[in-house]
This record gives sequence, structure tokens and C-alpha cells, in this order.
Amino acid sequence: MALVSMHGITKSFYGVLANDRVDFAVEGGEIHALLGENGAGKSTLMNVLTGLYQPEEGEIRIEGHPRRLDRPASAIAAGIGMVHQHFRLVRNFTVAENLHLGWSETPARLARGALERRSAELARQFGLSVPPSALVRDLSAGEQQRVEILRVLARGARVLILDEPTAVLTPQEVVSLFAALRAFRAEGGAVILISHKLGEVLEIADRVTVMRAGRHVATRPALGATRGELARLIMGAADLGAAGTGGAAGETAQHRPSRAPVSLDPGAGQPAASPVSGAGRPAASLSGVVLRDARGIALLDGVDLEIRAGEILGVAGIAGNGQRALSEVLTGCAMPQSGEVRIAGQHFADPLAALRLGVGHIPEDRLRSALAGELSLAENAILRDYRAAPVSRGWRFSPREARALAGRIIAAAGVDRGDPALAARSLSGGNQQRLVAEREMRVAGRLLVAVYPTRGLDVGATRALHGRMQALRATGSAVLLVSEEIEELLEQADRIAVMFRGRITGILPAAEADAERLGLLMSGVEPEADEEAAWAGQHEQATASNPP
Amino acid sequence: MSGWTVQRIPAITLGVRLAAYGLALLAAILLAGLLSVGVGLPPLRLGGTILYACFATRFGLQDLALLATPLILCGLSVLMLLRVGLWNIGADGQFYVGATCAAAVGLFVGAPPWLGLPLAGLAGAAGGAAWIALPAFARLVLGVSEIITTLLLNFVARLLVDGLATGAWRDVHSSVTGQTQRIPIVLPRFPHDWHFGPVHAGVLAAPAIALLLSLAFRFTRWGYELRLCGANPQAAAYGGMPVRRRLLQAMLLGGAIAGLAGAIELTGTVHRLESGISNGYGYTGIIVAVLAAGAPLGAIVTGLLMAVVLNGGTVLQIHGLPAAAASCFIGVVLLVVALAERLAHYRLVRLRPAALAAGRAAR
Repeated sequence: MALVSMHGITKSFYGVLANDRVDFAVEGGEIHALLGENGAGKSTLMNVLTGLYQPEEGEIRIEGHPRRLDRPASAIAAGIGMVHQHFRLVRNFTVAENLHLGWSETPARLARGALERRSAELARQFGLSVPPSALVRDLSAGEQQRVEILRVLARGARVLILDEPTAVLTPQEVVSLFAALRAFRAEGGAVILISHKLGEVLEIADRVTVMRAGRHVATRPALGATRGELARLIMGAADLGAAGTGGAAGETAQHRPSRAPVSLDPGAGQPAASPVSGAGRPAASLSGVVLRDARGIALLDGVDLEIRAGEILGVAGIAGNGQRALSEVLTGCAMPQSGEVRIAGQHFADPLAALRLGVGHIPEDRLRSALAGELSLAENAILRDYRAAPVSRGWRFSPREARALAGRIIAAAGVDRGDPALAARSLSGGNQQRLVAEREMRVAGRLLVAVYPTRGLDVGATRALHGRMQALRATGSAVLLVSEEIEELLEQADRIAVMFRGRITGILPAAEADAERLGLLMSGVEPEADEEAAWAGQHEQATASNPP
Repeated sequence: MSGWTVQRIPAITLGVRLAAYGLALLAAILLAGLLSVGVGLPPLRLGGTILYACFATRFGLQDLALLATPLILCGLSVLMLLRVGLWNIGADGQFYVGATCAAAVGLFVGAPPWLGLPLAGLAGAAGGAAWIALPAFARLVLGVSEIITTLLLNFVARLLVDGLATGAWRDVHSSVTGQTQRIPIVLPRFPHDWHFGPVHAGVLAAPAIALLLSLAFRFTRWGYELRLCGANPQAAAYGGMPVRRRLLQAMLLGGAIAGLAGAIELTGTVHRLESGISNGYGYTGIIVAVLAAGAPLGAIVTGLLMAVVLNGGTVLQIHGLPAAAASCFIGVVLLVVALAERLAHYRLVRLRPAALAAGRAAR
């Protein structure tokens, strides 16, 4: 009998069916992956399961008994716990305080020491090591995630829902997470894993469910499934390229001229990164760049880097080691305290100058930095182009021309539901990203700085973005690709630089790089002669718990 | 599981908005009816009296025009800052300072009328801009909330006017204390045959400035940049816009408009500088701006609406309601109008299986 089962769940928003009679069940002692494009309805389904939304039709059964989960507290009481993609921790509180937040078992009178002792006991009980007295904001993403998981387990969760858990983890941390999940499974718990990373899903999951356009499409055992098959199920067999035939879902039948033909097997390499010769002059260069923040902490600590025209330079590293600072000095958003940054050999002092030199910027947090959420798509689309005719002539501005230009950009971006008057924040994350990417690529004549551009994008959108980047590169522009997915870097980049604590710890040609070597560089470990042993030991551990 | 649900609409059309204001006004009339029962008058008579007094007599319309002008202008002042995401709580103080500067020109600069009037207007605008300059600096350089700084300067401005009107500039020949002598610069009135009465040429300033702002917001690069700087300064900076400069320009312009309003009120309606020259116009202007939802032309409508409400308070006092109760009435009406505006963003929707089926069929 299934631990949790959902039958005929239907949920709509403003007439759009987010979930359409969805059936979904999870057994005790299994890891069940939930796959689907952005907008397929996975998050809605999980929000129903955790009591945030009420379905219009359908029921939920816990161990065969129908239950009404009308509030998040009901779901928690039923043993369902969720760890979100964006952690819901209070950064200024300690780990112990976060663990005890909003928990009915927290004693009414608290002493810090008592809280920390209880936390340490919980950590020991569940086998997840967390430092109880540390402030959450000082922890790494992996440690924060452990706190989140511990918080959920402490409240008696038997069903653990994880939303894109490996997005911010190093390869080594992923290994630890999977070990913890296997332990949880061994004790009879169930795990629902939402992920876009098909490779990881096939590695850890027992069963896989695919959703598309609000419907349940298929449930398969993971054993024997291939990534190609899963991708086909996720995207619908119709999305075979520009001349797609009408598909079951209908929505992919539109002609999207700028989308590169999608290869159905994500494992197959991208159009081989034909090593375009660096053509001599660097598109951008940094020498001795030091950037400090308001507190005097060095975000960039002496960076020397050269980005050649026509190459894709990948930047690997755990988030928070200077990647954002690097993107900011290259785009004029921040000025270094010492050192020089040049685009095509020229200096620049502000974002406008960088724009004029042909630098496009896809920032990490698109809603905060690249889009004005409450303004319309049209007003956002022209953010880079509005100074030029025909949108502006001198001080005059033509709303009509602006709308026309915006329409072109929106169409080229392939944003579905592209009513230009819609507010930008009403778009899904994937669509927002498409819009920003299109807008920036249009102006990136020399350099495109893309910071985690595929974060949160589904398979189809990711392929499209990669295709566009390759096309951009072929025209002679350079691309700086900051990514947390080693696979993406290995596939797309020509060279890969690794950042750690504001420095570049190494640059490798992609052909010579692999996940383990990069992972170590990302953690600041450089395989010196006397550390060979430690490296080998870690390597053994990693492969032992993670059979290839 | 079908039933009713409440849906939120992010943006409402103009028609819905006007309907909401209309209904709110109706509710206000009914409220006046309730109040009149308390005072011993036939209900609804008071509401009718307010409407009659405002719209059915020539005096009423003239009063409305004179009252609406400072309200609309102060509303535009607040609107100007709202466009860049800031709050001008100090329109009242800027109004006072604008009036003071215009009075200074009138009292101490012996200029012929054709020169004196524009000078007074310029002085008023400059005074208002100067009064917001300090909060602007505090906000843009030091990050201090402009809500607090502009608010506090209101008190300073009012005391300044008090001090001048009862001290250095007081009218020694008049038995009325607390006002200056009559300012010799006067805004011209309309031709006598038009029967506009005390309505002066300054009332044209409100719709004119509203129109100018509306055109500027829509058809200039500056207007587009302002909007973006207000909606998301980070994105605007990343887009290469001079965010601080735009914010400063918007603030100074907002202050100038409120200062000009003070100058117009002084030279057109009141003719003497006194501490009662602003009847809370700056504060009511905030409501005018918020209800106008970012549209300068809308401020004309909401300014008139506020004028009707304020007039209503006066009518109530005439009919025996104590001043405090009249203020209460105004406050409640404003609350109702604001609520109506918010509620207009929601609608009741019936969930029917048919709707779900239609949703499925459409896929």
C-alpha cells in the first residue's frame, strides 16, 4: 500500500489548469523522482501535498486513509515535509534557533544552551551533522540544506519532498546528500525528488514520474530508463525542432524560429565545441583585480583572467566565491579598487559604457537585477535598446515603436503567453529567463556575461539557451558562463576556470577537466604533491559510495 | 469541490476604477445621512445638501475649482515622487515655503505686475524645491527614509510661516493677528462677464501641469527612465541609467510643484501669508496621488473628488455638526474611497465543473 497517494488532483488558477486529474503515489522505502518542464505542474502538485493549496477535485490518502490537508500544519502532522529550492531559513538565527522555529515541541522557556543540546541530539539521531551554534548565514549551501532536512525530519516526516536539492551543492556534497537519502529510505521513509538533472535522477531514484502540461504522463522504474526516453516524455515527442508537427500537448506546435533543433538525447554532446581560434585579441581581460565590499572584505582577491573572442569560458565554483563580483566588474556594475578591467582593450567606468562596448549581462537574480517585476514585458524588453532610434530620438520617446521592438524581442525569445502588457513578474521563471537572455544576446557584440543562466530552466529551455550561446560564439563574441553544473560546463565551455575565495584556482581546457578535479578545485584543494594522498583517499570514498 | 472563490486582478481598467470611486462617493453620502440622523436632521438630506452645494450653485462650482487647485497640484507633487518609488509626505511644508517665497517677492521686490507674478511663481517653485533638497540629499547620499525627513520638515515650515506672520512680516495695521499684510502681487481673475467670481487664472495651472507631466511620462526618454528607476533601481542601474540623478530630478520637481501650489494659493486665493494657508493640502495630496494610480490626468479627477469631500465637511459644519465630527466624516470617507479602490481589484468567481471542462477542452 502506498505511503502517500494522490488521486485525480485538479487545481486551476484563473482558468488555467495547473493540475488536471493527476494521480501520483509514493511507496514507503522508495525514492521517487518527479520530472517535468517548468509549468508542467510539479510545484503545484507538491504545494497541494504540503497543504498550501486546496485542490478543486481529487483526494489525498495517507496509508490508504483519505486525509484533508487544509493547512501546511496538517501536512506536517501527516508526516509530509518539504525542503524548498530556496531555503526557508532565518539567516540571522543560529542553526538551533532555526530548528526549533515554529515547532510545537519547542519548550516554552528556552535557554540557548538547552536549544543547542537538543539540536545536537537531533543531529546525532538522524545522522546529519550540523553545527548547532553557527549562524545560518555563515554556513555553506550544503550545510544549510542539511539544516533544512533535519528540521523536516525532526518534526516526524516520513515523506521528504526535495525541490531541486542539488542545485547549489558541490559534487562531494551531492554524494553526502544521496547517502543520507539512501539511509532515510532504508528506514522506510519515502523521498519525492523534483529535479531537472536526468543523470542524477537515474542515479538515485527507484521510480520516475513525468508530468507535462498539468497531466500525469508516465511512471516508470528508473532501472532501465534512459535519459533520451525521459527527455522525450518530458518534452513531448513533438518538439523535434523548428518544423515540429502538432504534438499531444499542442503548445509545442508553434513555430519558434530561434530555437535550435533539439536533440532528444541530452547525453549526446552539443554541436561539437569547434575550437574557434582565439583570434588574437582578447574580448575581455582582467589583471590584478581586487574588489572589496562595503565591509572591506575582498570579493575578488587579485584576479588575472583573459577571455578570448569566440570562446566560451566557463566559471565553476561554489556560489559565493566571487562569481558575482567577477560578473559585476566585467559589466561595469562595480569598479575594482585596484587592477584593470578592459573590454576589447578599452577602459570603461559604468554599465552604460560597458553596454556601448558590446557587453550583455544575464545576472544571477533576474527578477531582482534584470527585470522590473511590476512593469510590463514591453517596458522590460527595451531596457537595453531604448536609447536608439526608432524607439528614442533625442529626448523623445515613442511608445508605439517601443511596443513594436518589444514584440520582436518577445517573439524571438519564444516566450509563450507573450502579451507585451503583462507584468514581468507574472511570467514563469523560465520565460523570464528567456526574455532576459534574448535581450542580452542582442546587445552582446563582444561579450556575454551569463551567471547561472540555466538555473531553474527545464530541459527544452536549457537546450535552446545553449544553442543560442553557441550561435553567439560563432559570430565571434565571447561568453563567460558561470555555472554550478559541472556537466553543463564540460559540455559547453572551451575552457573552465575555477574560483575559490575570490581567486582563480585553476583554468583547464574543457577536454582535460572532469568532475572530480573541478570539485576539488572548487573546494580550494589543489592537488599538491603532499596532498596527493588526501585527494586519493577522498576519491576512493567518493567512488565507493557512488558506483559509476 | 466547486463553490465560490475570490480572485485578485493585478490591474483594473479605468471604467472599473471610476465606478469604484463613484460607489464610494455614494457610500459617503449615505454616511452623511447617518450622521445627520445623529444631529437631528432628516437623513439623506445632508448628503443631498452636500451634492447640491458643490455642483448645483455657481458659488459651489467656484469653490470647488478654488479648492481643487491646490489639492491637484499637491497630488501631482506626490505623484512625481511616486513615479520613482519615493514618498513625498512633505508637500505641505513645500507648499508653505513656496507661499513664503512668493510672499517675500511680493513684499520686498518692487516689480511691476507683469514681472512680479512670474517671479513670485518662480520663487515659489524654487522655495519648494529647496525645501525638499535636504531630504533628497539625506535619501540619496545617506539612505535616510524620505518619509521621515519630509514629514518632519512640514512642522518646521509651518512654524516658519507662523513666526513670520506673527512677527517680522505681520500686518501692523490689521486687528487680525497672525497674518501678513496683503500681498500686492495678485493672480488675475477671469473676465467679469464669464461670472467666474473669485476663480483666478491659477486654476489653469493644475490641469496644465497635469497634462505636461502626462506627456512627459509617456513620450520622453526621461519619463521612461523615471519609471524604471522607480520600479527597480537595481535593474535601472544595470541598464545604464543614472538612477540617482533621475531620483533627484524627480524629487526637486515634486518639491517645485508643491511650492508653486503655495505661491498660486497665496497670490490667487488667500492674498496674505498666514499659517492657515494650507488646510492640510499636502497631506490630502497624498491621497489624491495614491488614488490617481500613477496617472497625472487621473490626479485631476481624484483632486476634484477630494475637494467634494472637503466641501462636504464644511457643509456639515454649517448644519451644526461640530468641527471634529466633520473631520471624522472626512476621514471615514477617505477610508471608504481607499477601500473601494482596493476592493475593485477583487472579484468573486464561481467555480463550475463546466468551467473546468471548458478548460480541458481548450487544451
